[in-house]
Amino acid sequence: MHAEKGGSARIVIDADGLRQLINQLTADGFEVLGPRQEDGAIVLGPIASIDDLPRGVHDEQSPGHYRLTQDGNSALFGHNAPAHAWKRFVYPPSELLWRARREGSGFIMEEPGKVEAPRYVFFGVRACDLKALRILDAVLGAGGARDSRYVARRGRSLVIAVNCTQSGDTCFCASMGSGPVARDGYDLALTELADGNGGQRLLVAVGSEPGAAVIKAIPHRPADEADIAAEAAVLKAAQDGQHRKMVPDVAALLQRNLEHRQWNQVAERCLGCANCTLVCPTCFCATVEDVTNLSGDTAERWRKWDSCFTGDFTYIHGGGIRRSAARATGSGSPTSYRRGGSSSRRRGVSAAAAASPGARSASTSPRRRATSGKAKEEGNDEPRRRGRQGAA
Amino acid sequence: MSNARTRTIKVDALARVEGEGALNVRIRDGVIRELQLRIYEPPRFFEPLLRGRQYTEAPDITSRICGICPIAYIMSSSQAMEDILGIRVTGPLRDLRRLIYCGEWIESHALHAAMLHAPDFLGLADAFELAQQHREVVVKALELKKLGNHILEVVGGRAVHPVNLKVGGFYKAPRKAKVRELIPQLRRAIGTAMELGRVFATFDYPEYEFDYTCVTLRHPDEYAIHEGRIVSNRGLDIAPSEFPQHFREEHVQHSNALHGLTTKGHPYLVGPIARYNNNADQLTPLAREAAKELALGPVVRNPFKSILVRMVETVLACEEALRICDAYEEPDASCVEAAPRAGTGFGCTEAPRGICWHTYRIDETGHIQDARIVPPTSQNQRQIEDDLRGVLEANLHLADDVLQWRCEQTIRNYDPCISCATHFIELRIDRE
Amino acid sequence: MTRPPKKPKLAVWKFASCDGCQLSLLDCEDELLAIADGVAIAYFPEATRATLPGPYDISLVEGSITTPDDAERIHSIRRRSKRLVTIGACATAGGIQALRNFTRVEDLIRSVYARPEYIDTLSKSTPIGDHVFVDFELRGCPIDRFQLVEVLNALLNGRRPNIPHYSQCVECKRAGTVCVMVSRGIPCMGPVTHAGCGNLCPPLGRGCYGCFGPMELPNTAGLAGWLGKEGCSSEQLRGMFRTYNAAAAPFRRESEAHEQR
Repeated sequence: MHAEKGGSARIVIDADGLRQLINQLTADGFEVLGPRQEDGAIVLGPIASIDDLPRGVHDEQSPGHYRLTQDGNSALFGHNAPAHAWKRFVYPPSELLWRARREGSGFIMEEPGKVEAPRYVFFGVRACDLKALRILDAVLGAGGARDSRYVARRGRSLVIAVNCTQSGDTCFCASMGSGPVARDGYDLALTELADGNGGQRLLVAVGSEPGAAVIKAIPHRPADEADIAAEAAVLKAAQDGQHRKMVPDVAALLQRNLEHRQWNQVAERCLGCANCTLVCPTCFCATVEDVTNLSGDTAERWRKWDSCFTGDFTYIHGGGIRRSAARATGSGSPTSYRRGGSSSRRRGVSAAAAASPGARSASTSPRRRATSGKAKEEGNDEPRRRGRQGAA
Repeated sequence: MSNARTRTIKVDALARVEGEGALNVRIRDGVIRELQLRIYEPPRFFEPLLRGRQYTEAPDITSRICGICPIAYIMSSSQAMEDILGIRVTGPLRDLRRLIYCGEWIESHALHAAMLHAPDFLGLADAFELAQQHREVVVKALELKKLGNHILEVVGGRAVHPVNLKVGGFYKAPRKAKVRELIPQLRRAIGTAMELGRVFATFDYPEYEFDYTCVTLRHPDEYAIHEGRIVSNRGLDIAPSEFPQHFREEHVQHSNALHGLTTKGHPYLVGPIARYNNNADQLTPLAREAAKELALGPVVRNPFKSILVRMVETVLACEEALRICDAYEEPDASCVEAAPRAGTGFGCTEAPRGICWHTYRIDETGHIQDARIVPPTSQNQRQIEDDLRGVLEANLHLADDVLQWRCEQTIRNYDPCISCATHFIELRIDRE
Repeated sequence: MTRPPKKPKLAVWKFASCDGCQLSLLDCEDELLAIADGVAIAYFPEATRATLPGPYDISLVEGSITTPDDAERIHSIRRRSKRLVTIGACATAGGIQALRNFTRVEDLIRSVYARPEYIDTLSKSTPIGDHVFVDFELRGCPIDRFQLVEVLNALLNGRRPNIPHYSQCVECKRAGTVCVMVSRGIPCMGPVTHAGCGNLCPPLGRGCYGCFGPMELPNTAGLAGWLGKEGCSSEQLRGMFRTYNAAAAPFRRESEAHEQR
């Protein structure tokens, strides 16, 4: 529902206007979500008023490092992309898909998803996050797998973007052509400019009919040349401030270097923790868990965020794709990241064979203990059979 | 295996206690020849394993001594370290500590009184049988237990081995709204604890009395839980640092838990009855009413009535928790910070089953040089043996299986925590 | 009310431990009576003096093996158990008492007990899986009671338990917890620690201290390398890996890599 940026003239609102905008959206029944300072980071959460925004807070971002600083500057958006990604609101970390109740000899299905999706305002969305939402749309939206809950949440939400007026040390959107300026996919886009009196003026671009309808009621004036020039200057500064660049044709480059020693270096540092995919604004991998109550009278199916880094998620017939982390032996020499090669596959098969009735002695050996619990899981498709055998 | 002259009564594994222990009794010509409360819970060597660790690790590591009363270990060790560091935890942080300790008392007392101890008085094997006959008793107890655990979770982050406590205070003070949510539950819990008390008051209590030496904490302003001087009903009044001059531990062959004795070699009692006898003047108003309604009198000498004292203390813990929750404001800082310095410190708090005494010596870099922990059940051990002797002597006419159960019940009067004591039950009665 | 003719028998066994994991079963206040309806509690000394003879359909085993007697007893329990599930860090990794594995046990006995000759103990604290085949290992010091109910639930309903083996980080990220290591420089074991506690420490501003033991495929050296760069000493690193799961192989090896030589 977010139209391409219209040709409408740019307008300017001040901090009071922004306050009114948030109040009005709340009064209209939206849940406004935006950047807040919490536990030493900028996170996304409910914004009751403009006072919840992280005024004067800046962030340092570098690999494995994030710190907030505060200065006399009163900027509301003086930070970069927040610690949370917007996906958590359109594609929640865990979600009940359906519930079933035993009734006589059958089950009655209840689908909690029929409840009406919340109406969110995503407030303060950065250009990179907009791009990410577009990617999620392609996968989960109307043009993709069409996840009905995702589509409903997205469709009922308003997006108010904020253009970046500074870049973090890890930012590289300019080289991807995705930022720092929001080009489309928003209802309103704001550029924060100092007003010269220690306050703000916000240059507004209207991206959709709903956006236009919302801003109409807020006191504003048309943007003048000075506003446009000031905006251009800060946006250029943000772009020029980026040190990182995505190299052109990166996919082919990676393809040509599948055995490059750099992979080992990355693997040595890779903790396999899955954090990168979980914070990534575009990663959408999820698992489904079926749970029952003790009596077995109700069953539920839950969808939960997962990751291509976890063993269960990448488990396919015969074994897991991921069979080692680099240097899993604390003191040891680096071992290369083992891809799902034939040798490991074979090991998978033999492990499965060990669990079969023909190979009992192997499965009852005391040393058959899992260090991570994982090895046990590999034969977990038939714990009952092996258990009974243990009692023999 | 009994004949006219000799009887052999054995209980190989005492049930409804925390940890592993047994009782051996040999009776010959109607005289108890041998009585051993055997604690075979394997030793885990906490004290020497603490050596070389940082002082900040002691609360978490020692909490693993006991899954039933981790707060007692966390608090006593924290207090000892704070003694060394020269810091005092006061104001809202002190209140939060008392609040979480109340949570542990509520949880532990509800579990023991209703689910482990009460079945004995009704001749039932366990709480599950009790639930079949008196479901409401178990449901009420579970309600109380859940609230106790909920307090532990709100303040400590987890019911067993909480994670939010540390030397100096807390990692993060709980939000006011979360603490306030406890208030209606606590109001209801006071009534629930009273109702359980009334049910327990209708039980038949075996006639047995003992003039105990009661050793507890005492605090000038409150019913002592997490702070105070060590006192007894025989006139003792000492600082926790003076404990070693007045009490000693003895290693006996039949037990992996050291026996606590006074330096003169006398057994003594710690726990609910001892606390009630020493500190009844400081009961909170509703707890005082409860004690009156349950007809406990000024001094309790019948150990089987410990179940009633536990319910009085549960009322007290709920009242105290309620008072703290009502007044709670989030503190400015969640912790009193201090740099380590060399020294020796002492800590003593009232675990649900009695005083838990700790001492540590640390060096200037904060490394633990020495640790000594005296848990409540090891202090009660000799007293339990004395009680058993008394109960047996009075009941030798009973059949072996009845006698055996009576012995178990006597031990359960103490809510013994054997895991603690070893850092203890199985029952064997041999009548020759 | 009609009952199925035969309820599965549940037994709870204890070895060297603090009882906290068994207590977690009694701490399932909302589910306890339903569990008691669903199974026959055949052996559970902490809760009942009644015992039923084996074999047992489900045996929950708490605690580690530290005495010669216990090393025998676990075999007899295995023989009588159709499915044996270990509960907690002691049973699964040797527990905090496995710190003895890095010292001489005779010294320990002498330091606690006046009469060392009365004490019968093994030199190492070992997990149940070192002695007998284990059907499922439930992690944690202590276990999470919801995970315990899930395992019982799964076993009773003939399905696989939903107990993931990934890192603690996954729990943090789902909960939206801010990373204490990245944003505050607090050392955290989360990236190598098994999920399941319910995301307890980081939301309190405390680094994960690894009480659920190693995750699947932990890169402990990678984490130690990073923490070292952030200022952790070898002694601190050794201490971090040497706690409640000290004898779990990945943590043991990593702690040994930071021994002072």
